[in-house]
Amino acid sequence: MSNDEKKKANHNEEKSDLKGTFVSVMILGVFLVISWIGAFTLFLSR
Amino acid sequence: MHLHKYEKIWLTFGIGALVIFLIVLGYGAFYKGTHPQSHGVTIDQNNIESNEAFKPENLGLTKVDDDKYIINIAASAFNYDLGKDEEGNVVKHIRIPKGSKVLFQATSKDVIHGFNVAGTNVNMMVEPGYISSLEVAMNKPGTYTIVCNEYCGVGHHLMYATLEVYE
Repeated sequence: MSNDEKKKANHNEEKSDLKGTFVSVMILGVFLVISWIGAFTLFLSR
Repeated sequence: MHLHKYEKIWLTFGIGALVIFLIVLGYGAFYKGTHPQSHGVTIDQNNIESNEAFKPENLGLTKVDDDKYIINIAASAFNYDLGKDEEGNVVKHIRIPKGSKVLFQATSKDVIHGFNVAGTNVNMMVEPGYISSLEVAMNKPGTYTIVCNEYCGVGHHLMYATLEVYE
């Protein structure tokens, strides 16, 4: 691999698209927080 | 170390959630005194009368103060012993004024039972050899069913009583 090619490969990794991962992580996170708040509210209100 | 912009966001979110949950847990445990309902208070399961709280005359409802009550329960297959009233009848219905603080203390003579006042936070395992206790403020009027929610044998469904919170 030439130096130029190496640079290009590194560059591609840095720009890797994590949008899908981000959205799925956030969906999971929001689901966890909502269920936790739901259970905790139930505990406090009874 | 290089972190992707999105990685920073979800790591902050995750660690933040963990910190919040731990703070709530710590507040409950150290400030509000929340503890597992059975926390190492032992009793002789074959002689529960040796403990003051579980003497036959102390079972059931006892008024301690104006709005403070204690309910002692001796669980056995398949009955919740809530003591006897003045006429000597078995108590299966307990009445408590709204807003009172009630300390539930329960133990089992035989197997594991699950003491549950349905619709409230009173829900605890009752193990032979241990005393389970939980203090709860009864703020919502209504009639609640006390059940056993831990399968304890063929008569499991016969273990019930009622608790009435009146205005």
